[in-house]
Amino acid sequence: MNKYNPPRMNPSSLRSRFATRFLRSLSEINAQKPTASSSSPTEIFRRYRRIKVAADKSMAYSVRSRRTWSRAMLWKLRTRPCGRRSVKTSTIVRKTRHEKQNKNTTTATTTGEDGVVSGVEADELRELVPGGEAMDLYNLLDETAHYIKCLTTQVQVMKKIADFYSP
Amino acid sequence: MDIDEKDKYELENRNENSINYQEPVLSSDWQFGGANLTSAGMSLVPSGNPLAIGSCPSASVADSFGSNLWEHPSISQNLGFCGINVHNGASSSNAMGIGKGTLTSLRSNIDRPFDMGWNTTGILQQSLSQLPADSAFIERAARFSSFNGGSFSDMVSPFGMPESMSLYTRGVGLMAGTEDMFAVNGMKSVFGVESQKSKLNAIEATRDACLQVENRAIESPLENGRKSESLVRANEETKQGTGGSGNESDEAEFSGRDGGQDEPSSFDGTGGEPSAKSLSSKKRKRSLQDAEIDQAKGGRPLTEAAKDGAENQQKGDQKQTTTTNKTTGKQGTPASHPPKEEYIHVRARRGQATNSHSLAERVRREKISERMKFLQDLVPGCSKVTGKAVMLDEIINYVQSLQRQVEFLSMKLATVNPRLDFNIEGLLAKDIIQSQAGPSSTHPDLSVGYPSLHLSQPGLVQAALPVMGNNADVMRRSLTSHLTSMTGGLKLPNQLSNTWEDELHNVVQMNYGTSAPSDSLNVNEPQPSGNTKVEL
Repeated sequence: MNKYNPPRMNPSSLRSRFATRFLRSLSEINAQKPTASSSSPTEIFRRYRRIKVAADKSMAYSVRSRRTWSRAMLWKLRTRPCGRRSVKTSTIVRKTRHEKQNKNTTTATTTGEDGVVSGVEADELRELVPGGEAMDLYNLLDETAHYIKCLTTQVQVMKKIADFYSP
Repeated sequence: MDIDEKDKYELENRNENSINYQEPVLSSDWQFGGANLTSAGMSLVPSGNPLAIGSCPSASVADSFGSNLWEHPSISQNLGFCGINVHNGASSSNAMGIGKGTLTSLRSNIDRPFDMGWNTTGILQQSLSQLPADSAFIERAARFSSFNGGSFSDMVSPFGMPESMSLYTRGVGLMAGTEDMFAVNGMKSVFGVESQKSKLNAIEATRDACLQVENRAIESPLENGRKSESLVRANEETKQGTGGSGNESDEAEFSGRDGGQDEPSSFDGTGGEPSAKSLSSKKRKRSLQDAEIDQAKGGRPLTEAAKDGAENQQKGDQKQTTTTNKTTGKQGTPASHPPKEEYIHVRARRGQATNSHSLAERVRREKISERMKFLQDLVPGCSKVTGKAVMLDEIINYVQSLQRQVEFLSMKLATVNPRLDFNIEGLLAKDIIQSQAGPSSTHPDLSVGYPSLHLSQPGLVQAALPVMGNNADVMRRSLTSHLTSMTGGLKLPNQLSNTWEDELHNVVQMNYGTSAPSDSLNVNEPQPSGNTKVEL
């Protein structure tokens, strides 16, 4: 009948990995939800937060530790839930991490020689990209490129899922 | 390739040259060191060589001399060398009190013999006599030639005439000595520099050269980069040491000059090594400092430097910038096979400072601009944007918009999905594989709409394909149209789906964060409840 066989995607691509993980976590979240107050805004908000975290986590896990931003994101996600308990340890860990990263960093702000790049914008970018605080501009741009690619994948998959379920 | 780069490097060092640099045609076999000298000698042969360097303005005798001398690096024989640098430096450098007239005569003398193909022994001797050659200088040259001879086996020399080459080098060295400009190529050792300040530097240069030559013999061609690296350092050091002998030209000249004078004892191939080692270690420290900067780049330099090297080669003669990755030997042992390091070897561009910091800075800038170009391709709509600042702004906006979209979609999923049981296999089939074969399992809630899903697969496929943003609307519309057409049973909340669609449309067309996503989110809040009600 409708034998539409589009070309297969790479099963181990970032997209597949992310989609698999995200769907799994999404089903878990949905399984947990009691049907009772599912439509209340607070509940929805809670679910929203959890789904967002699940999306970030799925993406970070799909990338493993190959990227600085994924490592930073995983670290952030790990310490976030139990942030209260391990605040001290997390700060210490963060410091060591920063020290390690600082070793490799050159001046973050731009010099006159660099001309165009302004330190302000680079700092903004650093805030956006997880783990970007301790990177020099060059690595920051590198991470940004990969981060953008992963974000677009994330958006595409989530959009498809949402479309699938929205009607 | 390495040779080319090396030569280019030398050219760079010489810079300030009005003469057109021409990238020497280097054979990959070019093995540095003695070879360079040879080529330097060969460069004396103006005729019959495809070198076009030619533009040596004969404004001054020295210049012309230098240019003729050195401008034929791309000797067809591929000795590869680029003495060009030398003369460039020389031309720009003030003639250090050496009779330029002698130089011209020398040149003429030398040219002829070179034309004959290396039979200039006699002539060289003549020129030698003409030149105010020091005995020490001759010694140095001799040592150098012997040194070269040792490394000749490794060198690819079409001529295969080590002796004559050594003679040439000697002659060349003498000329250089007279000229000051001889700081040539890496060999710096070559020649006769008169400035005493640069003596030490010259020694270093020579030693470095020796070291390099030796290493060359032993190590892979990649070593070239290392040598050039050390050469750069050496140049810098010499420059600093000498404070520039009144020339704006690079230190290479100075070092060359110094090398000529200081060669004597250090020039011995073997003897020079240990001293070279120590000297090069100094330089290495500097290069290590720079290397640290490079190391931060991680693995990038390898690929990029290689790429840059290729690109630079293509750039042609004008820009003698070359960045190459080399295996930087640990400075300790000349004969060691150093582990691969991410060393970026940069050659100073013509007309630019050759300070190590500025070089590293330039490399960094180039890498950053390359990254920016790559990002430009990633970020849609940024092809027309030029300038780092604006580009960065666009990138920031884009990343922000993507993050907001993720939030929005997760909110949407939070509101939409609770009523549905997830069918992971079905979803996976659709989403991951972009339309893989139909859903194998039936979805209870969507059973009515199941056939629609089947039929809407092509729509979904189409939907899956487009990149987010521009095609979101198309996707959505196709999907909803498919569903509405297919399913009668499912009460498709068209209005709601349209609303969702519109909202997503707004979000998508936000154009990177100009509009407030919070608006869409706020709008979404009341909707989900309505949506769920309807769909339930």
